Amino acid sequence: MTADKTVRGDTAFEPKIIGFLCNWCSYAGADKAGTAQSPYPPNVNVIRVMCSGRIDPQFVMKAFEQGADGVIILACHPGDCHYKEGNYRAAQRYRLLLQLLEPFGIERERCRFDFVSAGEGDKFVQVITEMVETVRALGPLIIPA
Amino acid sequence: MKTGVYFCKCGTNIADKIDAVKIRESLLRQDPGIHFSTVDFMCSEEGKEAVAKDLAENRVERVVISACSPRDHETTFMRVLSKAGLNPYLMQMVNVREQIAWVTEDSGRATDKADRYIRAAVRRVQLHDALQKKEIDICPDVLVIGAGPAGLKAALSIAGSGRKVVLVEKSPVIGGLPVRFEELFPTMECGPCMLEPLLGDVLHGEYAENIELLTMAEVTGVVGSYGNFAAKISQRPRFVDMQVCIGCAECIEPCPVSAKNTFNSGMNDRKAISFPFAGALPNAPFVDEKLCIALQGGECRKCREACPVEGAIIFDDSAKVFERNIGAIIVAVGSDLYDCTKLPQLGYGKLDNIHTSMEFERIMASNGPTDGEIRTTAGNAPASVAIIHCVGSLDPKHKEYCSGVCCQYAFKFNHLIEKKLPGTRVCHFYKELVIPGKDEFGLYHQARSNPQATFVRYDDIQNLSVAGGAEGTIIQYQDNSGKSGSVKADMVILCPAVVPAEDSGRLGTVLEAGQDRAGFFEELHGRLDSAQSKIRGVFLAGTCQSPMDIQKAMNQGMAASGYILSGLVAGRKLEIQPVNAEVDARRCSGCRVCVAVCPYTAISFDPEKKVAVVNDVLCQGCGTCVAACPSAAIKGNHYTNAEILAEIEEVLK
Ligand SMILES: Cc1cc2nc3c(=O)[nH]c(=O)nc-3n(C[C@H](O)[C@H](O)[C@H](O)COP(=O)(O)OP(=O)(O)OC[C@H]3O[C@@H](n4cnc5c(N)ncnc54)[C@H](O)[C@@H]3O)c2cc1C
Repeated sequence: MTADKTVRGDTAFEPKIIGFLCNWCSYAGADKAGTAQSPYPPNVNVIRVMCSGRIDPQFVMKAFEQGADGVIILACHPGDCHYKEGNYRAAQRYRLLLQLLEPFGIERERCRFDFVSAGEGDKFVQVITEMVETVRALGPLIIPA
Repeated sequence: MKTGVYFCKCGTNIADKIDAVKIRESLLRQDPGIHFSTVDFMCSEEGKEAVAKDLAENRVERVVISACSPRDHETTFMRVLSKAGLNPYLMQMVNVREQIAWVTEDSGRATDKADRYIRAAVRRVQLHDALQKKEIDICPDVLVIGAGPAGLKAALSIAGSGRKVVLVEKSPVIGGLPVRFEELFPTMECGPCMLEPLLGDVLHGEYAENIELLTMAEVTGVVGSYGNFAAKISQRPRFVDMQVCIGCAECIEPCPVSAKNTFNSGMNDRKAISFPFAGALPNAPFVDEKLCIALQGGECRKCREACPVEGAIIFDDSAKVFERNIGAIIVAVGSDLYDCTKLPQLGYGKLDNIHTSMEFERIMASNGPTDGEIRTTAGNAPASVAIIHCVGSLDPKHKEYCSGVCCQYAFKFNHLIEKKLPGTRVCHFYKELVIPGKDEFGLYHQARSNPQATFVRYDDIQNLSVAGGAEGTIIQYQDNSGKSGSVKADMVILCPAVVPAEDSGRLGTVLEAGQDRAGFFEELHGRLDSAQSKIRGVFLAGTCQSPMDIQKAMNQGMAASGYILSGLVAGRKLEIQPVNAEVDARRCSGCRVCVAVCPYTAISFDPEKKVAVVNDVLCQGCGTCVAACPSAAIKGNHYTNAEILAEIEEVLK
């Protein structure tokens, strides 16, 4: 329903992905990858929020609607949230989000939630690279009218 | 709206990967009115000056800074805007260096990504509000709860700065635990002597008039927030006027009733009117209402008859409630010891001559129940003493942490036993030995070189059991190599885990300051801010936050004062960051979801207007409530829905 079978797995396809990163952990983790100059695919466009608790499911839906092929939400590890528990809220909302995606025919794999700490530059690179590959394999997102 | 885009080349760091000319062309295609300018090193003094000058000359109204991570230089460039007369919130930073130039291999794709990020920032910044920092008046005075080492140190340093301190102590005596200890590790300094100058300063020192000491008192209510709290303090009657009493102790002897002295762990008796122990400060006795015949309606007035001063003993004293306004609160309520009856195989509470470390401190104290003599219940000097370390510590069945002070006081005990009763055998049973610090090894080496001392390491305290019998107390053990054995001990000392004070949960509720898994007051950050709680304006000092020795408790008292002295300055207003949540009362349905999700209890419900209200001082701007509000009635300043949605839309184009 979503991906056009002919382009699925096509290496020429460059997915567009939105990444929501919290300022204190995951965004700092991304900066860490930067200072280490570890390359990763440029497909993820980062939107910085102060806390993953700020990420409203409508942002994710909007991203898909505006042409994103995938969305990734990165939060502080459990117990590390700068704002005590925003990451738990984000995790809760993510579970709800997954249910919202189904009726639109958006595969779960297109929306990923993970934890990246300020020190985990390597993990950031790994998670982003995996996400890009996952979405590339799924092909472009086509939401039926 | 004239938007200026400032593109930092960062030497070659950005310029080598990202083509500024292409970016400029693309931006001008989007909006020919955009003012684009490149700078070599924007964060340098020349760079900042160039931007400030350019902003003014070109009458730029909105600013996009394309440079490094906002986590590095957002505040730097916000200051540049302020200097140029622009509202600093009318700026958006694009992290081209850390998140594009340094991590993207292909230069074409890097330029394309930077172009999209900058376009999104241009869209976003058009929507920014010119947010204003708010300022509120503050009260610089401080409430300190608990008069142990941590609380005393904090109270003195704050009083010394000329501020008022309300020092609330639950018991009739100040000084916390160490005034009950004869000597202190690591250097065997006398506890009461070491604390004496501190206690003297609090009571009669140069700044004593700035300290209002309320003993036998507890904080029962707190409202307000950082800068402006109001606390309610309830004080039990002492029945002795501390201003009039001369501390002569003439009243004690004639008192006809006695009961177990809790200050000596119930090991001796005290009168209905008594001092907790000799030398206790403030130097005035207190009356135990439940024991006193007069207070129970009887005829006895013996103490008053013996008192040489008029009006010192007041039978009609009553409970009082005080209300005090303060700007900050320091919690320094200390800790307790783990209940040893939870390890029944150790015989505590069932067999004679088995003591907790706290009890043993009192036994060794010259003002304690045995006047400092180490004696068994039969009245003899013990020929052998067993010290069991790690009782309930490092043990998933009890407390999983190490309390960090027990080994050191156990070696202090070893030293004192050796000194008081030469030739006494001492056997240490331990799970781990922990003796960090530059001075702490001394007592350990001394114990190790004591020919009378033996050491047995065990794996699991379940492998130790203490039994009484005709021959005395016998400890059966299996050591960590699996070898079994037994040791006879005339006295057994248990070193229990340090645990949160019994009513710290109740106090936590009053203050809305949370507890960690173990029940200690939870710090804002374990390394960065361990003297700060997660509630702004509520600070932590001493063992209420984590087990620690006196040195650390004193340091934390100073740390907590430091936050207050620098953050809450008389005559200076408290700045409130405008990046916070704002409720639109017209849209609020009163569902209170936001109240439930706020991690800082910054949102309350106004029952009259039936809407949620955000307390600006407490709000930290995380935006959790904004995302949770089902009526979209909360605006997350600087991260509004409109701003974020515009950014998403543009970056995907
Ligand atoms: C057996 C033993 C021996 C030790 N020996 C040493 C040693 O030799 N050297 C060393 O450096 N450290 C030693 N320590 C550690 C030392 O006792 C602590 O580091 C120190 O007491 C911590 O000071 P504090 O101010 O945090 O708490 P405390 O000393 O516990 O003081 C807390 C104060 O708060 C009061 N309080 C409690 N609840 C409330 C309330 N709700 N409202 C108002 N007031 C309240 C208490 O009455 C008390 O006065 C020892 C500990 C133990 C258990």
